[in-house]
Amino acid sequence: MTRQPWGITRRGLVAVALLGGLAAGAQAQQRYTVSVSLDYTGPFANVMDSWWAGQQTVFDWWNETRGKALGMQLDIKTHDLRYDTSVVARTWPTILSQDKPIVFLGMGTPDLVSLMKRLPADKVPMIMGTAMVGPLWTPDGWHFSYRPTYSQEFAGLFDYLQKRLPEKRALRIGTVSTQGLAGYVDQVNGVVALAKTYPERFAVVSSQWVDNQPVTVTSQIREMAKERPDVVLVGTNTAQVVATVKALKELGLKTPIVTSSHNGLNEAAKAVPIADLEGSYSVFAFAPYNDPSVKVAEIFKKYNKGKGTWGITSAQTAGQALLAVAAIERAAAKVGVGNLSGQAIHDALLAGPFPADAFQGLIPAMALTKAAPFPTENLAVKAMTVKGGQLVAVSAEWMPVPALAKW
Amino acid sequence: MSSALPSGVFFQSHAAERALLRTRPQRLWLAGLLIVLVALPWAANDYLLGVLTLAGVTLVAVLGLQITVGMAGQLNLGQSAFVGVGAFVAAALAAKGFSLWLCIPAAALASGAVSIVFGLPAVRIKGFYLALTTIAAQIMFPIVVIRLPDSWFGGTAGLPVDPPLVFGFAADTPRAIYWLVLVVVCVAFVAALNLGRSRIGRAFRAMHDNDIASSVIGVDLARTKILAFFAGALFAGVSGALYAYYVRYVSTEQFTLWLSVWYVGMLIVGGLHKPLGAVLGVLAITALHEGVHVIGSVALARLSGITNVSGGTVFALTNVVLGGVIVLMLLFEPLGLAHRWALLKAAYRIWPYPRG
Repeated sequence: MTRQPWGITRRGLVAVALLGGLAAGAQAQQRYTVSVSLDYTGPFANVMDSWWAGQQTVFDWWNETRGKALGMQLDIKTHDLRYDTSVVARTWPTILSQDKPIVFLGMGTPDLVSLMKRLPADKVPMIMGTAMVGPLWTPDGWHFSYRPTYSQEFAGLFDYLQKRLPEKRALRIGTVSTQGLAGYVDQVNGVVALAKTYPERFAVVSSQWVDNQPVTVTSQIREMAKERPDVVLVGTNTAQVVATVKALKELGLKTPIVTSSHNGLNEAAKAVPIADLEGSYSVFAFAPYNDPSVKVAEIFKKYNKGKGTWGITSAQTAGQALLAVAAIERAAAKVGVGNLSGQAIHDALLAGPFPADAFQGLIPAMALTKAAPFPTENLAVKAMTVKGGQLVAVSAEWMPVPALAKW
Repeated sequence: MSSALPSGVFFQSHAAERALLRTRPQRLWLAGLLIVLVALPWAANDYLLGVLTLAGVTLVAVLGLQITVGMAGQLNLGQSAFVGVGAFVAAALAAKGFSLWLCIPAAALASGAVSIVFGLPAVRIKGFYLALTTIAAQIMFPIVVIRLPDSWFGGTAGLPVDPPLVFGFAADTPRAIYWLVLVVVCVAFVAALNLGRSRIGRAFRAMHDNDIASSVIGVDLARTKILAFFAGALFAGVSGALYAYYVRYVSTEQFTLWLSVWYVGMLIVGGLHKPLGAVLGVLAITALHEGVHVIGSVALARLSGITNVSGGTVFALTNVVLGGVIVLMLLFEPLGLAHRWALLKAAYRIWPYPRG
């Protein structure tokens, strides 16, 4: 069999055409980078598998479904910023120059502290997954969270509990926190502001200031018990929750504790028997991970490739990623798939309410405005409690948060 | 300067012998080092520049600690609080539109003034008791700052800081802030060296060696102890101002007791008794810190799927390694890396034949 030069050329041409077509197809897929702050070698490294899994699964799902339909691909670049302010500050220029991100997912206070002032000039919006604090309630920022302040989240549960008191009176709240740590002090300040706003409904009867990592808080809880609180708010860290649980047990008290997501019942149950947490609460502005309405749990199950597990941590960060992709979709609809930028995402975040559908049952409908870096109106929360040794949702419905002005 | 020079190197005037740089090779080495440091931003990436910038900021604080602890022998475990005072004062003044040239000296003076309050007990107590009073400064610092009117230092919110203007140019790039810190570090290092050679520096040393004997020869102990705290805190204030300009946000959580302990650790590793010890200590601990994280991260990636070792182990290991280094230094080289450097230098000068 003789090989004809023209035949080879023809086959070559066909191959080149095919490759060209594939390349063109690949080029049609517009690619953008989303940079992510993680902590693989710092104080939160132990929860990082689940933290990252929550974000990774949402981005993988989005790329494979909605992104493909839009002709977009999000490249996710993770950075081990060690939950350290100085590491964030010195890595950020590299992230900017190498990644050129259209959006940045922050982890916590170090990201906020280091980047808040830089983001407007760098034109990169940052989306957080943690609740915010009062001092961050400033206008025109480029940092956003789908969660309001911790105090507002607590207010949603307090509102629910007050309405269910057997008699008509104010809910008596005791607080445990630490002086000297601005975020922790602010949680108490916010709840005090709530009590001042609705004195007939809420009363802060005792504020106990304890060590950041206390060995015991029994004497402080004994002092608080004299004021007969209905609930003890411990929004700070797991060590304080555990110490409070032990103190209540030592004193023979059955007062429920109110915690947040980061120091919640799951974490405390690793250190104390879950029976000791009976009746206590975790409250946050997203649905509990085991809530049947949370469709993102199925996405997690399908797309999770690592060691992370579905729980409070992964649900929280999945919410962060869902807000990011919702904003990206909205920006793409506004400026076109090929013209996305940090500014476009920033504008999309502020362009009106996001429907609950965008969040797969994890977050209620919410709107961001220039007035604050988090939603401030029509807020709602959900909570978990321990009932019969099991973690269950307090209510299937979203619990509204009473309006609270900046304190 | 104190190390002996080889035979053949001599001086014909007192001024020549007293100079910081006494020989031509010393001047050449220094010029080379400065050229490398100034040119580094063109060779290094932003991350490395960031590491060096923060090391420079830390170095200024540790130089101050070297004066209080190494030179004057007054234990201080609250240096981070004095850095914090400087950071907040600089941030507050910068927010009101004052320039860098006013903010940095004001931050230094404010830290110095606050240090006097906590230095006063040194007049009557020393050792562990004095260390406890400086820890009190550390504990009181965040509580006081948060409780002061928000219009002063931002209260719980802290304060944002704009990039400084240096001769009309905004130092808002890693390169610009590196150069700014480099200049301040050079000035601070020379100041620390010169302080040790001054009358007050000699009083510090006399007090450090034997406070009772020094008082017999005319050293006013009360004044000298307070001056030791004041001088150390001046450096801390400058460091705080630089930190504020670098991170661009100050909050009380950034200035912890843990940080104060690390400053002392750096000084121990580098050598308490010379400003060079502060330089070597900061560089060594910074390199070790970064090294453990880099090696740990690589090991984590390699071991992923093989073991259940998590990042938390690396975090814990960092502190274990750094703590271990301090223990080893105390055991095997209590005079620190500066002493090892002096031995190396002496060996170099006489091998294979004497040089300057």
